[in-house]
Amino acid sequence: MGLLLIWYLKEFARIEWIKKFLFAKTAPLVTPLHFRGFPEPTGKTCQHALFCMMACPAPGAIEVVHDAGDGWMPRIHKGHCIRCGLCVEACPNGVLKSGRILETMEREGTSLLFSFRIAIDLELCTGCGNCCTACPINKGIDAQMGAGGHSSNDEVIMRVQKGDIVVIHEDKCTGCKTCEVSCPTGAIRIARILEGYQQPVQEGSQ
Amino acid sequence: MKRTVDVNIPLGPIHPCFKEPARLKCEAKGERIVGAEVELGYMKKGIERIMKGRPWQEVMFLAERVCGICSVIHNMVFIEAMEQISGISVPPRAAYLRVIANELDRMQSHLLANFSYCYTIEHETLGMYLLDLREQVMDQLERLTGARVTCAYIIPGGVRCDIPRQDKELLKTSLDRIERDLCRYSGMFAEGPMIALRSRGVGILTQEAAQRAHAVGPTARASGIPVDCRLNHPTYRQLGFVPVHRADCDNFARVMVRFDEVFQSIGLIRKCLDLPKGVIRGGGVCKAGETRYSGEAPRGELTYFIKSDEFGRIVEIQIQTPSIMNIEACCHEMIIGADSIADVTSTFVSADPCIACTER
Repeated sequence: MGLLLIWYLKEFARIEWIKKFLFAKTAPLVTPLHFRGFPEPTGKTCQHALFCMMACPAPGAIEVVHDAGDGWMPRIHKGHCIRCGLCVEACPNGVLKSGRILETMEREGTSLLFSFRIAIDLELCTGCGNCCTACPINKGIDAQMGAGGHSSNDEVIMRVQKGDIVVIHEDKCTGCKTCEVSCPTGAIRIARILEGYQQPVQEGSQ
Repeated sequence: MKRTVDVNIPLGPIHPCFKEPARLKCEAKGERIVGAEVELGYMKKGIERIMKGRPWQEVMFLAERVCGICSVIHNMVFIEAMEQISGISVPPRAAYLRVIANELDRMQSHLLANFSYCYTIEHETLGMYLLDLREQVMDQLERLTGARVTCAYIIPGGVRCDIPRQDKELLKTSLDRIERDLCRYSGMFAEGPMIALRSRGVGILTQEAAQRAHAVGPTARASGIPVDCRLNHPTYRQLGFVPVHRADCDNFARVMVRFDEVFQSIGLIRKCLDLPKGVIRGGGVCKAGETRYSGEAPRGELTYFIKSDEFGRIVEIQIQTPSIMNIEACCHEMIIGADSIADVTSTFVSADPCIACTER
């Protein structure tokens, strides 16, 4: 019993122990660098490619809006964002960053490539030409396109010929899906195809 | 004909020992259990329906949200099924990184399952030790992928990011520390006399019964059936993988199989850390097709049946998860004849049922 008491006194009647006991502090919570947090702007100019919105798997988590000046800026809705980091990888201009993703991408030369494909169900299509007139790319190429989607310009993405829709330049599609929204029968569908890609920057980058 | 029993004892859906809600209805004669039935349906998500019509970049995130404990393997099996459909090949470096992520996930899942068992048999000290160890594994998983649970690490044709050199060193030292600690903890479990009283000879699932109930994963391997889907996986075959199995058939064997598998996972990660040089993303576009693909989740065989259209969107998807068979084996074979209600919960937990996976 006496030994035990001595042991206790030796253990606890020390200045350091008493200090630690009275002024104990929990270590501050620090977010580690490798943590994939909510995407934040890097300060680069948004080019309005909208790839972040297209890659985002969570509905309504990101939208590209007008910022204070003239330009565009992605805005993250934190309640919807699942912090997957696909927007960071999909952005061709490096506007967003999240954790180490952007540095890793630059070091390893990885990226996500988008390609767009137009699929038209000819059974449903009525040849009304709404998609052709709604398409913003068509509008830029042929501003005079008629209400029926007729055009004499061969550079447009799609046009109506003899009552049927014809896709001419699928590669010009930017995947905005405006045509899909304007189609009255749901005949046109845009597929956004994502592909993981790597262009090795240097040998032995590990 | 209805059997005459002394008491009907419902356990759950809310029970301190269960990680997830399931209802276990036991029929007891005295204190001996003569029959049991499990009632599910408390957390149906309908996730397969949500997946339909979406491309891989959306379904990938839904797939790993099927189950929070074994999310990496859901991601991996889904992506590998899409790769099989589209004929995408994976660079060797990416294949090894996938194995690292998957084995880290398996380690944390097994540690959590064993924590849960220790907690159920009221050995909270050991349980908390294991939970602390799991945190270290989770930290390594976060360091590799950027997130603790829903990692989203694997994409068609490769992985999201490479492992930097300093992280590789850190992973190595961390694995050494985890192995040292785990040696002590598994020794405590293997040699503890009180633990043996609660675990040895309780919840017997004989080899025939396991085959009859189609038990999979550690539950089957603890009954002496060396089944493991990793044997069919090309990367694991390169690593010379041999499944762990035991012939004791009881709760003790199931927990020990999981401990042994954690050691095995550490070995596999060490082998994988000699990464081949090269790219981590081969590229490749998902195409139309239909396939059935299986992978080994921490709880057993996980199967995805996928049908996709020409642009790689999912037309039809079915997920078969391991816990369905294990829960059946548990309530129809293991629990019958248990000596008390306390053994029922511990036996149920030792089969490591994942209700979120089962109901999807």
